[in-house]
Amino acid sequence: MLTTILSAAHSGLETIAIEVEVNVFTKGFPGITIIGLPNKAIEEAKERVKTAITNSGFEFPQSKIIINLAPADIPKEGSCYDLPIAVGILHAMGVVQLPKEKSFFYGELSLDGSLRHTKGVLLLALSAKQHSVKELYVPLPSSQEGAVVSNVSVFPVASLHELVLHLNGSKKIAKALIKPGNTESERLVAEFDFNEIIGQNHAKRALTIAAAGGHNLFMQGPPGSGKTMLARAVAGILPPLSPEESLEVTKIYSVTGNIPPGGSLIWARPFRISHHTTSRIGLIGGGSKPHPGEISLAHCGVLFLDEFPEFARSTLESLRQPMEDGEVTVTRAAGTLKFPADFMLIAAANPCPCGYLGDPKRECTCSPRMIMKYQSKLSGPLMDRIDLHVSVPVVEADKLIEHKDVETVSSAKIRERIIKAREVQYKRLSKSGIYMNGSMKNKHISDFVQLTTKASQLLKQAVNAYNLSTRTYFRLIKVSQTIADLEAADAVTETHVAEALQYRVRVE
Amino acid sequence: MKQQNFSKGRTGEMIAAQYLKRHGFEVIEQNWHTKFGEIDIVAKQNKTLVFVEVKLKFGDKFGSPEEMITNVKIKQVLMNAEVYLLTHPEFENYKRRIDGICIVMEGETVSRLTHYENLSA
Repeated sequence: MLTTILSAAHSGLETIAIEVEVNVFTKGFPGITIIGLPNKAIEEAKERVKTAITNSGFEFPQSKIIINLAPADIPKEGSCYDLPIAVGILHAMGVVQLPKEKSFFYGELSLDGSLRHTKGVLLLALSAKQHSVKELYVPLPSSQEGAVVSNVSVFPVASLHELVLHLNGSKKIAKALIKPGNTESERLVAEFDFNEIIGQNHAKRALTIAAAGGHNLFMQGPPGSGKTMLARAVAGILPPLSPEESLEVTKIYSVTGNIPPGGSLIWARPFRISHHTTSRIGLIGGGSKPHPGEISLAHCGVLFLDEFPEFARSTLESLRQPMEDGEVTVTRAAGTLKFPADFMLIAAANPCPCGYLGDPKRECTCSPRMIMKYQSKLSGPLMDRIDLHVSVPVVEADKLIEHKDVETVSSAKIRERIIKAREVQYKRLSKSGIYMNGSMKNKHISDFVQLTTKASQLLKQAVNAYNLSTRTYFRLIKVSQTIADLEAADAVTETHVAEALQYRVRVE
Repeated sequence: MKQQNFSKGRTGEMIAAQYLKRHGFEVIEQNWHTKFGEIDIVAKQNKTLVFVEVKLKFGDKFGSPEEMITNVKIKQVLMNAEVYLLTHPEFENYKRRIDGICIVMEGETVSRLTHYENLSA
């Protein structure tokens, strides 16, 4: 007998409906064959389904079974077809009835018949409308992801046995309801608070501006001056995600399996740290079946690259295009996919291999050739895309010892100011689909940024005096706008531009 | 133990041969040996030569006899069948196929006998 069950496959952030056709023969030698380009995980579904059905108290048919995953030419992967295959076999045997509404079945089976957390449920729920699907049967630990989407009924299935009772109408499963999430309780906990860091007020100010507007920032300084500490403290001043951003981020996290069991929407802004041995594909995304990289996981949040010049040259250069466009296009033989990658880059580096170039007290031991080689890693086009350049010098010993007198602002206070500045930006920009100054394109700048006459005069002078590129000119305006937003000013004045300018002149 | 398996095999072949005869097959060989292995039963019916693999189990404690017939086993039978055809040119114009007969015994009686036609298809 032939049965067709609807399930889904993910390609990038798109969802394709997959028909799982199950035929249980009356003649033929017993055995299961799965066709339709399955990968190893799906091949092994045979054993999982067989054992799960037996352990749920049903009899597994002693018959020849053929399972076809249609459309047949798309390669399928993952463990989400366990549930549709099991339901198909049980229906073909007449054990279970199928729901009247068009439904997706999706989830991995455990040998005891219970369902395991399966990645990609949010995307499945979002695509339900497009495929005119009304009901969703997903594993209980993943159901909160799907419950976010309205106008589709999500049934959290704990075990195969429960599902059979539900479908036969003897004991209904309650629809999954979204647990009211508390955005503040889910904020990131930073390792360091800004008031633990002594001095470095210049860098703190720059980091505040960067976090407020989503601008890229580059820190340079000798070893031990606190670059890494400063960058890690940024996690504590990031504002929560807006509902739109949260959905975008959760989509990426759902498809990469980064949402823990029972998890739902992500409200904490991503803060990703990549080690300098990270491969190009690990950072940008790719693979024979394209997979999002770190820059996509840092979408709407921060990507921190410590020891910036130690990264492979090709890895760094590949950041250029996504930094400009806010998305990355990955093309492989299997197809072309687009992933969002609107991230804020924080990079930290030493000025030279020994680390003490330009230090007032210690002498640099590097040869000019070594310094040239080190700094040539940071190419002009790449550095041109970084809005704020900050020098982080060594803190003097006196300040360290008498640091009780030095007043420092806590992360919580800075965060409040940033949230306010973000609200201003959100009000201004959200209609055009962007949320922060850092993501503004040139057309947005002419639409939204109001410069006073004095401010534009100063800009003009600066461009001529420092030979700034066109891109730098526009990036300067964006940073000036963020500084104005931090002060809740109506227009960008020359003081804002002047401050933005001082982060632009590169420390040599 | 080995001795027991051997006698079990012979019992199975006897039962299967009787079954085939009852169903209009002519049994040509039983337990035919080559250097590489053996064929449990060679039978023919209407110009079709049938190579039969017989599996016998006592009870269901150790799973079904069907589980014992794997792709590897079918390949073995296929190879032995080739050898058989080489040494018996009189069957050159016959159609050929591989069948399986699975027998489950409860004590002295046969509780189930299933005949699967054309395993290699």
